Amino acid sequence: MRAVIYLSILFWGSCVYSQNKEMLYDFTDLPQSLMSNPGADVNFNRHFGVPFLSQFHVNAGLRGASLHDVFADDGRSINEKIETTLNKLTSNDHLTLTQQLEVLNFGWKSKKYRDVYFSGGIYQELDLIGYFPKDFAVLAYQGNQDFLNQPFRFSNISASGELLMVYHFGYNKKVNKKLTFGARAKLYSSLLHARTARNSGTFTTVETPQGNNIYQHIVSNADVTLRTSGYAALRDISEDANAQQGKEIVNKLIGRALLGGNLGIGVDVGVTHKINEQLNLTGSINDLGVIFYTNDVETYRARGNYVFEGFETPIQFSGEESQNFLDELEEAIPLDTLSTSYITMRPLKLNGSIRYSFNKYDDGTCYSCIEGEDPPYLDALGVQLFMQFRPKRPQYAASLFYYKRLFNFLRTKVTYTIDDYSYYNLGFLLSTHIDKINFYISANNLLDYTNLAKARGTSVQLGFNIIM
Amino acid sequence: MMKTKKTYALLCLVCIALMSISCVKDVDFDQVEDIVLTPVFEVDFIFSRFDTNQFVDPDLDPSIIIPEVVVQDTLNYDLLGTDFVVDNLDRVELTFEFRNTIQRSFDFDFGFLNAGDQRIGPSFSITANAGNGPGTEPVVTTEVIVLDNATINILGDANRLVSSIRVQNVNSGLQGILELRSKGTYFINYEL
Repeated sequence: MRAVIYLSILFWGSCVYSQNKEMLYDFTDLPQSLMSNPGADVNFNRHFGVPFLSQFHVNAGLRGASLHDVFADDGRSINEKIETTLNKLTSNDHLTLTQQLEVLNFGWKSKKYRDVYFSGGIYQELDLIGYFPKDFAVLAYQGNQDFLNQPFRFSNISASGELLMVYHFGYNKKVNKKLTFGARAKLYSSLLHARTARNSGTFTTVETPQGNNIYQHIVSNADVTLRTSGYAALRDISEDANAQQGKEIVNKLIGRALLGGNLGIGVDVGVTHKINEQLNLTGSINDLGVIFYTNDVETYRARGNYVFEGFETPIQFSGEESQNFLDELEEAIPLDTLSTSYITMRPLKLNGSIRYSFNKYDDGTCYSCIEGEDPPYLDALGVQLFMQFRPKRPQYAASLFYYKRLFNFLRTKVTYTIDDYSYYNLGFLLSTHIDKINFYISANNLLDYTNLAKARGTSVQLGFNIIM
Repeated sequence: MMKTKKTYALLCLVCIALMSISCVKDVDFDQVEDIVLTPVFEVDFIFSRFDTNQFVDPDLDPSIIIPEVVVQDTLNYDLLGTDFVVDNLDRVELTFEFRNTIQRSFDFDFGFLNAGDQRIGPSFSITANAGNGPGTEPVVTTEVIVLDNATINILGDANRLVSSIRVQNVNSGLQGILELRSKGTYFINYEL
């Protein structure tokens, strides 16, 4: 119980956005732009990310409330604030957390076909989303007394979490002057996965003036499923008193990371279309794929109907031996543990943008340009759209951006994003290119940085590359 | 070049400033200690229905008076037995509602047994008022019994509920129904 409550507070408190990387998208000065659009119009000869340091990405957000709503030091009682927040949140509000760490990232221009750029690498990803289980939070916090005859819906319970390694290889081709196309094949190795979604049924306390007793407590058409993979074996290790638990768990996870987990396949596809020299249109689809969960799968499923109206005593007409209430409940709504394989789609992401470049650098000395190429535009303005499919409904975001190449060694991008979490999300990316060494850092929700407690979420990316 | 370096330095400063001002303020996480969950749960308790026909043979000569009819029952009941309940249940209000059309009053008693079938804690008695005969509006008797925290602690070992209903001077001419409905209102006080 205590753990559940701490978790719910953490849930309210910690913050996550979607996997939107509005700063990195179509920022073609960085090789990481190929990760969100394999068809990005990049101009590298080769690149190599510093292992484990080429990209760290974390993205946290909460739709519906902030840390400040609950923990504000404003003299009001915390219980009052929790109640206010509880009433404000809906079952569509959610917490998301995405974290990625690039282990390897490299790329090179084909020697044979100068218009083809290959790239590949490995990254680790942690992806969590939990919807606020409003009805059951209310039940735990306030009880059923004020909610007689109102159903508590099991459909409120929806969450998923996954830890996986992704091995990828991409192909990027400038088809002609106007069109760049790219695709990336991905092999997923899932270390851990859990998901509960599409649950149904209700729990209701109904007043029954004409009934046997004052109420009927009705569990109606309950169907609640929790799928896990990779969990049972770890649990068995931690229950085994003889095992060197920490070491064995780590070994197991490393084995799964090295393609020993549940495997899956997927693709990213993207294009860049130059309408004219200054106007660019891009689009991409990420993580169109599935993972097949066949190893170490445990699915828990409870289904059934149950009506409780108290104990019939001291006079029983039914003649039945009074049973233990819990036995009866378990019989009516049995909890099955299954080990059947299942398949889950990866959360699909769509990106699109339109970009207008201007202010061409041209002083005749070619100070800012790469040898053999046209001088770059120093400024660009545009719009980006993002959409990600989630268990309940898609998440959307729209951004305005302004790109500025201040100097050859310093390029920046500012974004203004509207999404599920806020209407005033300002992001900033700074990328330095000194000789071949590149360092970049970006963060969003800058307006809330003065007080992160009020933020509904934040996102940070940073990394080092060697770009030639 | 001088200018670019200055700009670069400025931008770095902005960056550092941004990071240093990014903090969490005006919040007090120690408030976690003050969180109290006080849900109130309404749960059915026991119910019963006493129909005179079931206890007195209607063919019996009405002049024969049965001095006392007692029905007693025990059932498994360990809702108060878990640590969570004993530690965090502030009080329980048991509400009983009798609806009687039988022209006799009834004595209802209940109490709790431990695993060794020993009575623990107090016994409780309620008298249901006599009714006005079949076909009349039932006479309603309502009573609330409060189990306070001290009593709940004593009842922590209870795992059976024993109850009985007692009526005196019954004959076959006595008609009607006694209904018992009840609920428990559980006041939880859970401090983190």
